[in-house]
Amino acid sequence: MAISLMVNGQSRSFEIEADTPLLWVIRDELGLKGTKFGCGAALCGACTVHLNGTPIRSCSTPVSAVEGQEITTIEGISGSTTLHKLQQAWVDHGVPQCGYCQSGQLMTAAHLLSYNAAPTEDEIAAAMSGNICRCGTYSNMVAAIQSVAGSQGEA
Amino acid sequence: MTMNRRDFLKVATASSGGLLVSLNLAACAGTPTGFSEDSGSWQPDAWLELSQDNQVYFTLARVEMGQGAYTGLTTLIAEELGVAPEHIQVRFSPVGKDYINPAIGLQMTGGSTSLATSWQPLRVAGASAREMLVSAAARVWKVAPGDCSVSNGQVLHPNGSDALKFGQLVELAAKETVPDEPALKPAEEWQYIGKSRGRLDAMAKSTGTAQYGIDVELPGMVYAVVTRPPRYGAKLASFDATQALAMPGVLDVFAIDRGVALVADKYWRARKAQQTLKIEWNNEEALAVSNASVMEFYRKAAEEDPGVNEREEGDPEGAIESATRVVEVAYEQPYLAHAAMEPMNATAVYHGDRMEVWAPTQAPDLGRIAVARVTDLSPGDVDIHTTFMGGGFGRRLTQDFIEEAAAVAYQVRKPVKLIWSREEDTRHGLYRPAMLHRMKASISGDQLTGWHHQIVGPQILDWYVRNAAPAQYPWAPKFLYDTLGKVGLMAEGMATPKDVSAIEGAVDYPYQVPNIEVRHTHVDPGVPITWWRSVGYSHNGFAVETFMDELAHELGQDPYQFRRGLLQNEPRHLAVLERAAELGNWSAPVPEGRARGIAVHRSFGTYVAQVVEASIEGGNIRVHRVACAVDCGEVVNPDIVKDQIESGVIFGITAALYGNVTFENGAVKESNFHDYQVLRNHQRPEVEVAIIESREMPTGVGEPGVPPVIPALGNALFALTGQRQRALPLKA
Repeated sequence: MAISLMVNGQSRSFEIEADTPLLWVIRDELGLKGTKFGCGAALCGACTVHLNGTPIRSCSTPVSAVEGQEITTIEGISGSTTLHKLQQAWVDHGVPQCGYCQSGQLMTAAHLLSYNAAPTEDEIAAAMSGNICRCGTYSNMVAAIQSVAGSQGEA
Repeated sequence: MTMNRRDFLKVATASSGGLLVSLNLAACAGTPTGFSEDSGSWQPDAWLELSQDNQVYFTLARVEMGQGAYTGLTTLIAEELGVAPEHIQVRFSPVGKDYINPAIGLQMTGGSTSLATSWQPLRVAGASAREMLVSAAARVWKVAPGDCSVSNGQVLHPNGSDALKFGQLVELAAKETVPDEPALKPAEEWQYIGKSRGRLDAMAKSTGTAQYGIDVELPGMVYAVVTRPPRYGAKLASFDATQALAMPGVLDVFAIDRGVALVADKYWRARKAQQTLKIEWNNEEALAVSNASVMEFYRKAAEEDPGVNEREEGDPEGAIESATRVVEVAYEQPYLAHAAMEPMNATAVYHGDRMEVWAPTQAPDLGRIAVARVTDLSPGDVDIHTTFMGGGFGRRLTQDFIEEAAAVAYQVRKPVKLIWSREEDTRHGLYRPAMLHRMKASISGDQLTGWHHQIVGPQILDWYVRNAAPAQYPWAPKFLYDTLGKVGLMAEGMATPKDVSAIEGAVDYPYQVPNIEVRHTHVDPGVPITWWRSVGYSHNGFAVETFMDELAHELGQDPYQFRRGLLQNEPRHLAVLERAAELGNWSAPVPEGRARGIAVHRSFGTYVAQVVEASIEGGNIRVHRVACAVDCGEVVNPDIVKDQIESGVIFGITAALYGNVTFENGAVKESNFHDYQVLRNHQRPEVEVAIIESREMPTGVGEPGVPPVIPALGNALFALTGQRQRALPLKA
């Protein structure tokens, strides 16, 4: 079927089977490789993108279900700026090890800060619990999120 | 005489595990060292390229899978060259003899060897290039080289104001004599080594721009999936692809050695069509084991065969005879999966006389053997491009995914990307072997007089040598591959190194006990196995440190003081043990409802001690705090050391709490992260890492954080409940 999506602020149209997971559309039809395949079953969070600003698991979302809607991927997370504050914090705190899960982690963290500007450590851990990191970079992630939460408060 | 600098650096491992570096430079003094008019750049050795437009390129011979080699090794060369690490452009190396890991003899990233084996050669390479640049500048200025200095990619004139950029000097530097013994900077002058300066790959990995194997895309590329037999060892009997071939985008379905390959224009189309395949397997040679049958097999073997004596000290038998008490226990450990976040994948294209492969692999030279096996090509006809990889943990040392991609690309004659599903990754992997440990201690009065350890289980080289042996003899014709594999095993210790995968961490039992025996009963139930983060140390560390804890309690001693008393001749063990005990508040009261456990273990030359604080909450084990002390010799990047130890802690706790691959009739039951769980953010303990200051040779940190945390957690649970758990995973 013919599908149109708004991806990172741009309208994109293509022909694809309705049941194709959004993940493979983003990666292979649109060429945005920052969103990763980890489990294919909404269990690990590596494929997390935003649907109208809310995180979803793109590996388990048929593209037909998001027809005409707004999708944001790691490539679009910073909007018009070069880097999202969280991305800079990820670099400053040396969060990524293998790095494979980090796009998904960042998408989840960005959403957390969008509705809770100053989350507690427990709130951060709870919000991030759906995203697996096999390298175990969790504590640096939490510190990075807290540093941005702090700076947002001051701004 | 044409000699290249890259041939000069010879690094070999001494039998003690220490590194010998020999430099054979003097004989070739004055030989030009590779300035290319075409590229306008100078390649002083296999690692460095300096261009006239002031770019510095560093060829990284180890792969980056999260452990930090990308940053650490670049830091070494940057320090001596005199350029900030951030200004160096890192390239992943092709397969080449210059890039062989000297500790292993293959181009392999594993065994926590990257930093240790690069420490000397990369600094020498950087210093050598720096001295040649300085000599060139001094010649231009007609000053003494010793009066010049180097800073940030420039040579500075003694007058303090003039400077020449490296780019201006490269053509001249190439004509300089290769220094005999370039002077390495003393530690006090280090600008980058020993400093926490962040990771060089952090930006690419925080913006989604780092390219992993799964991200490789070639023009006209198609996608492959492979259906493998559910039971390991089963053979394809027949398949019916009628329905699949009628589905949109499906290009071909055919048998390969490892199963049935299906090729389609899109990945999802391939996956959907795969579900319609009707495949019959011939199970005559299929594995039939279950976890229970493996342990039963081990127990029986242990009774029948006391095993090879791998270490004997004093009179172990006499110690048992004269003991006032003998304590006997057995520990059982399960198969474990790697569960790297990036599923196995490879992209291959057949060019008629060559094959090109892009893959996240820890052993690209073995990847060439895998390609040669399933094509008419020789290893030399195969180019392997490595990429960033989404975790490795040893899984990517085996090249089955490259073998499959190559077999498919060879047949379809188009660029092919093969991607495993998570379920396939979990079920068709190679695993950390299940192991049985039979422990016995002789006690006389209040003294531990005898340590008797019988390890029961397989050796990894039995499986790994299949591709590793041919890779060591790349000139060997292919019909010899299987023979080489077998000879490699028979000639263990000569043609191949002694396989210590089953005994490491046990034969090097560090405690001062007069009578020691460590035996290995070598049996293999046929389950595919491979290296898994910390390998033999992962199970021997648990056996040794759990039994030490049991003995401490048996003797009515504090587990920390008991270890301390027996480590008086092991200063590095002792130092980390004492530091961890201090950091972990060992002697302070434990918060209500919690308990502490301690363990110390040396692996890959690095010493780690940990104090775990745990509780049981709502029927679940909760790890609150892990205090770690690490001695890994000279530290190149303290942040990376701390992060790797913490990473190992999380990996070890995951194994201790959840790790269990269940075989039922030769097939793996688990499939995805719901039944093969890993520790998540909200379960993360607070991890503190103290680094022992040391001037010893640096050793790796990718793996050593794993082994002690598993027994330390088990020991904490014993302290909490009074129940000793002798089988993993641990239960609440």
